[in-house]
Amino acid sequence: MTTRSILLVEDNPDDEMLTLRALKKNNILNAITVAHDGAEALELVFANASGGGPLPGLILLDLKLPKVDGLEVLRRLRADERTRIVPVVVLTGSKLEEDILAGYRGGANAYVRKPVNFAEFAEAVKTLGLFWLILNEPVPEFTPQPD
Amino acid sequence: VGQLKLEDGPGFPESELLPAIVKSSDDAIVGATISGRITTWNPAAENIYGYSAAEIIGQPLTILCPDELASEIEETLAKIGRGERVVHRETMRRRKDGTTFAVSVTASPIHDGDGGLIGVSAISRDITEQQARAAAELGRRADELERANQSVESFTYSIAHDLRAPLRALGGYSSALMEDCADDLGEAGRGYVGRILAASQKMSELVDGLLVLSRVAQAGMHPEWVDLGAEVARIAAGLQRGEPERRVHFAVERPVRARADRALIRTVLENLLENAWKFTSGQEDALIEFGTVPAGEAGVCCYLRDDGIGFEPAYAGKLFQPFQQLHPASDFPGTGIGLASVKQIVERHRGRAWAEGAADEGATFFFTLDAEEIA
Repeated sequence: MTTRSILLVEDNPDDEMLTLRALKKNNILNAITVAHDGAEALELVFANASGGGPLPGLILLDLKLPKVDGLEVLRRLRADERTRIVPVVVLTGSKLEEDILAGYRGGANAYVRKPVNFAEFAEAVKTLGLFWLILNEPVPEFTPQPD
Repeated sequence: VGQLKLEDGPGFPESELLPAIVKSSDDAIVGATISGRITTWNPAAENIYGYSAAEIIGQPLTILCPDELASEIEETLAKIGRGERVVHRETMRRRKDGTTFAVSVTASPIHDGDGGLIGVSAISRDITEQQARAAAELGRRADELERANQSVESFTYSIAHDLRAPLRALGGYSSALMEDCADDLGEAGRGYVGRILAASQKMSELVDGLLVLSRVAQAGMHPEWVDLGAEVARIAAGLQRGEPERRVHFAVERPVRARADRALIRTVLENLLENAWKFTSGQEDALIEFGTVPAGEAGVCCYLRDDGIGFEPAYAGKLFQPFQQLHPASDFPGTGIGLASVKQIVERHRGRAWAEGAADEGATFFFTLDAEEIA
């Protein structure tokens, strides 16, 4: 099994550090890249995609992001043949119905609300990592053909 | 007849002054016999009602009011007959063309020189505009209030929402300290971190409670006919499944039909039932009843009664305030948000919620719902 990397798109440094710590504490040792805003996330993903590099096995995406917001990141990922099938989990503070709906409409694979309680947050991160990186069958490696 | 002396004029007889006032008044001034036949009719009356004096003199007063209000005129005449007055009564009158309008009427007896009752005078003022203005003003204030409430609610929501991230950090780093640096902290240090953790845990609950309340306040309302009894039975079955070892008898009246937003009223019933379930946990055999009591006009009054630990009646009002808990959290966990949401939701349905009970004698929670169409 190739180890799949995680792209964490998170602008809050505390949530970033705590997410990284929770993953590590739960022995999820996949490589993790962090993007701090939507533009950086898109650059990272598409630079890899263009260069034929590996795509992330999982993207954890916050919605409220500087520069390009999470929903727009999602839209662009889904609009591109190369990144259309990368699993994206929206991990955000909002529990507003319209945000949840917009997330799913935009093609998110899951929508998880960051629990305010840290123990629950750590649990959520652990569950997400275990499910998407270990339990879930990954997208088979393939080279997308140009249109 | 006396003579009025005016400083800046020659003065003129009272007998001429009074008719002049009546003639120039903006209010309809109508004289009638004690049996209600019209005897005098001023120009304003002509304007307001549309009848000329020639047409109306000799007609009964009842011609001036909508048929369904004819008894009101009889009543007024009866009062006048007893020597009483009617002052500023707001009612409806009818014009010659059949249209009706709002008036304020003052009717007084007319006496002759010997004090004998010889007739009635009625002064009526068209208050249509005044009422429209008052209604518009009321509507404007209601809108203002609604907007103010909305902004308070969305303010609450955004504050509570924005508090979540720093709070998560507080709890997160405290846990990290405890897990990674426990040895360096020493016993006192670990104690302090433990307290930070507990406090941030408590605050998390409060913040989540606030979010629940503000969502309940802002949720869209889609009223439909709901059988509350069926909802109660469903929730009760769920509670029993969760703790199959408990012996609780549910007596549920069905059907109990009410117009309500299904999702919101479910929240009400869930909160009440969970409370009843929680506070009867010490009972060997508990009884939880749901039913209705006769309600006033066009409404339904439901109750949920349990035979649990009850509460001091003096605190009945406090029960519905957010974050108030009458029983120690260590005995009965909860955030104290359940009954506050119950009240909030019931009031959004234009109903009322209250509680009755006594210590160790169970509690009964009542709420009313409109049976009429609600917005």
